[in-house]
Amino acid sequence: MAAREKYDEAQVVEQLHDPKMCRSAFGKVIEHYSSQLYWQIRRMVIDHDDANDVLQNTFMKAWTNIDNFRGDAKLSTWLYKIAINESITFVNKKKVMNQLSIDDDESFLVNQLESDEWFDGDEAQLNLQKAIASLPEKQRLVFNLRYYDEMKYDEMSEILGTSEGALKASYHHAVKKIEQFLGETE
Amino acid sequence: MKREDSTLLTKYGKDSGFKVPENYFEDFNKRMTEMLPEVEITPVDVKPTMWQRVRPLVYLAAMFAGVWCMMSVFNHFNGTQTDSVGAVAEKLIDDKSNVDEFLMSGSVSDYDLINYDDSVMLSNEEDLSENP
Repeated sequence: MAAREKYDEAQVVEQLHDPKMCRSAFGKVIEHYSSQLYWQIRRMVIDHDDANDVLQNTFMKAWTNIDNFRGDAKLSTWLYKIAINESITFVNKKKVMNQLSIDDDESFLVNQLESDEWFDGDEAQLNLQKAIASLPEKQRLVFNLRYYDEMKYDEMSEILGTSEGALKASYHHAVKKIEQFLGETE
Repeated sequence: MKREDSTLLTKYGKDSGFKVPENYFEDFNKRMTEMLPEVEITPVDVKPTMWQRVRPLVYLAAMFAGVWCMMSVFNHFNGTQTDSVGAVAEKLIDDKSNVDEFLMSGSVSDYDLINYDDSVMLSNEEDLSENP
């Protein structure tokens, strides 16, 4: 197996604006970010096939708008922003298709979880996912980014356009609500 | 400081229970790269940030500052050896005997040295005669 080439973000960003190199550079971007973006999307949309579609849309959108990316922000921030917007839009569209209210997150996501063949968590993991699904959209996002990805608040602030203080408060409330939910279900 | 989510982490860990098909990411990367449409890219020079521009100068300044600090510390702890070459030369020049020796050393002939020895011997003999 060939050794994987080291990923150099500054070099890749430069190559993205070179017509001769941009396609291969974007291939490197896909290889580097597909996994982390997938898991963020998956935790939002729950179902694997949906996550696959949203990830595909995310990269497609990034590729067709690559000319607008000038390197002012970090590439990861830009990609996370697209991925999160795509995830939220997808979930809302799917809820409309299923004739559910936009605010009716919990039951919709739990149904998704229980019907997903690529979820093989035990009862505790299922309960945790149900607890996360019970959170409001923004808190769910913040919780997933912090708890699973250990993303720093300053980076999260850039992606979500919210102050660090508000994000910390949001995470605190999310943790308390999840603990309460789990306490009631046990 | 204890993390506020430590209870959840201890009890549930970070495994969400979600799985993906085998080789999913390898397949996805290949498939995704192949399906990218043609796009028109406008070549641009990505401007280096202010930090990228001044970084070499900052590193250079830091290096000089480091050398200067090291010299200061070295001088501080070696007080007796702190005189610079210039200061030592100045001290030696102030001492008149050294100046004489210094000035003479290049122009003393063998003849002068023999005479010098004789004069020393004579002065010693005079000393002895004065103090038998």
